[in-house]
Amino acid sequence: MSNDAAARTGTDTAAGTKPARTFWGGLSVWAPYTALMKLATASPRRQFVILAAFPILWVLTQHLGPMLQMLRVSLTDAYPVAPGVEQHFTLDNYTRFFGERIFWQPFFRTLIFAGVLTFCTLILTYPVAYFLARHVSRKNQMLMLLLLLIPFWVGEIVRTYAIMILLGNTGAVNLVLKWFGLIDRPVPFMYTTFSMGVGIVYLTALYMLLPLYSALEKLPKSYSEAAADLGAGAWTRFRRVTLPLTLEGISSGCTLVFLISTGFYATPVLLGGPSTTVFAETIAGFFHVAGDEWPTGAAFATIMFVTAMLLTGVFQKLMYTLRKGDTK
Amino acid sequence: MTKNTFSRRHFLGTAAMTGAALASPVYLRSAKAAGGEVNIWTYNDFVPKAFKEQFEAETGIKVNVRLVDDQGKQFNLLAAEAPNPTVDIMTVAGHRFLQFIDSELLAPLDTGRLSNWGNINPTFSESDWATINGSKWGAPILSGMEVLSYNTEMVSAEEAASWDVLFSEKYKGQTAYIIQDMMSIVMLMLGYDGNMVAYMDDPEKAAAIVEEAKQFLISKKPLVRKYYDGGAEVQQMFVNQDIALGHSWNGPAAALINDGFPLAMSIPKEGSYGFVYTYNIANNAPNVDNAYTFLDAILASPEIGASMTKASGFISTYKDASNYLTDLEKASTSFPEEQLANLQFFRAEANELKYNLVDPAVEAVKAA
Repeated sequence: MSNDAAARTGTDTAAGTKPARTFWGGLSVWAPYTALMKLATASPRRQFVILAAFPILWVLTQHLGPMLQMLRVSLTDAYPVAPGVEQHFTLDNYTRFFGERIFWQPFFRTLIFAGVLTFCTLILTYPVAYFLARHVSRKNQMLMLLLLLIPFWVGEIVRTYAIMILLGNTGAVNLVLKWFGLIDRPVPFMYTTFSMGVGIVYLTALYMLLPLYSALEKLPKSYSEAAADLGAGAWTRFRRVTLPLTLEGISSGCTLVFLISTGFYATPVLLGGPSTTVFAETIAGFFHVAGDEWPTGAAFATIMFVTAMLLTGVFQKLMYTLRKGDTK
Repeated sequence: MTKNTFSRRHFLGTAAMTGAALASPVYLRSAKAAGGEVNIWTYNDFVPKAFKEQFEAETGIKVNVRLVDDQGKQFNLLAAEAPNPTVDIMTVAGHRFLQFIDSELLAPLDTGRLSNWGNINPTFSESDWATINGSKWGAPILSGMEVLSYNTEMVSAEEAASWDVLFSEKYKGQTAYIIQDMMSIVMLMLGYDGNMVAYMDDPEKAAAIVEEAKQFLISKKPLVRKYYDGGAEVQQMFVNQDIALGHSWNGPAAALINDGFPLAMSIPKEGSYGFVYTYNIANNAPNVDNAYTFLDAILASPEIGASMTKASGFISTYKDASNYLTDLEKASTSFPEEQLANLQFFRAEANELKYNLVDPAVEAVKAA
């Protein structure tokens, strides 16, 4: 009997004595346990169900549960329910959005901001990911990634304040510009579309970078070399080889960044100005108001969620079609 | 040598703590060790740090403070937890009492359990808004007002005598305000009652006035740098010189003045509104006895009131609290008589009518 087998059976062949059985050793030979295990692993289907149960339960209670509760609140006329008030189901909270134009502007502004900023993030991070995946040695790639991750060790608010320190009237950027004699008066970077855009791109860059890096890192260099051998220039190699083969990474990165950007609240509040109100601020306004406005806020949140998911679905479908077209 | 230094420091530290304990209000020294905890929702700096530490040490009651920055948010938090809240003491502005009382979120205050109730200036403790349905609902602690704050190196006192300066081309991109608060002030500027009590019987007129104020703020939107929400934001904008002037509460502005920042405040000629923050006990509060112990302790001496003023910049409601302020602190928490004459207090009677109109208008201004 091998040592492993001896350990499994709990016998000691050398001494010939029976050592004290551990808890786990005892459990493994406990009849009810072995019967249960036998029952649980009787078929691959049953194994799958048992393995999937926890993640499904997690998603249902931690992810879908709150969203379903939000949906339920959005269909009521009062929440939290005050004493003596009867709660009724209604669609008024949804019709309020479609009936009042003042809510459309921040809604569409948010979608446009999110789309434009997603594109900007892609343009800015693609060269970084490309450099990291193709020109940094394997040994140093992890170190570089770690360096890029450092800002994510602190929270969103702290990073947003860092942007404020950079862009404020007395911030680092204005001080440098003044020091070089390029300006006399501070440039009002803060509380503008620019400062909000910088903040959101900064906060979401890593969500774009990692899928891009992953896609580029998997791409064999030999593909580009083969294209070069066939006479393709640098731009053609990028356009005809690298870009199509990293569409999956682009798709994942853009989806992540777009969805995160549609939901940003603190960053637009802290960095944005009077003309950059995003839909998350409108939604938050309903939850701040001391009254029965939660259902309206919940309805608006649901509308944004459904719209963002629809747009993402269309985008994913488009990218899928592009990828399929390129592989034909 | 190292040991001697440590001993000396240790001795000095102990001596300082002993001195502080001896100098502390009699109430705290005689408090019995009650234990447990008290949960408080309040604004930043409304529970002085030194008081909290001393209270915890002498009563054994742990003080858990959760910061709030908005009356509406506080209402919603409490409404979501009702009827069994986790909080014992909240900080409700006097003009918001009715809303909390109507929703059965506040417990009437038993002033008989507060031996130090008499330390509050009767102007606040006995004023008409303080008694509703024959009961007191809160212990007034700090008083504030909506003011025009301005950087004295950029804006003159003459300019700051009118709210008009906030909407002038000269200071385009250098102003900030809280839209909801400005709605009431703009109504005053336009010659209306910002409390809307005068229009309770005429909802159409009320709606027309709010619409006029809304259109005014929308037309002035290109001039403003930032719509903000909390005191810390406006302080930061002044310090970073992102703004030269703005509407603010007097507390955050006074705190900056006390720090030596070149800032001043005015109550402009068109008028403004004042409010009083009170400590209140939540309906079905989990630690009622500890809540009363805390309230009585914090009302114990004018020094505590003064320390709240020093930290928050708001004006203490305690009798003689100003005796414990420096000249600069006194200056930052007082206004000339002619300016005070322009001040009136927020009133609650028309709140439902007012905020049903104002809240959507605020959203419209933001969205425009």
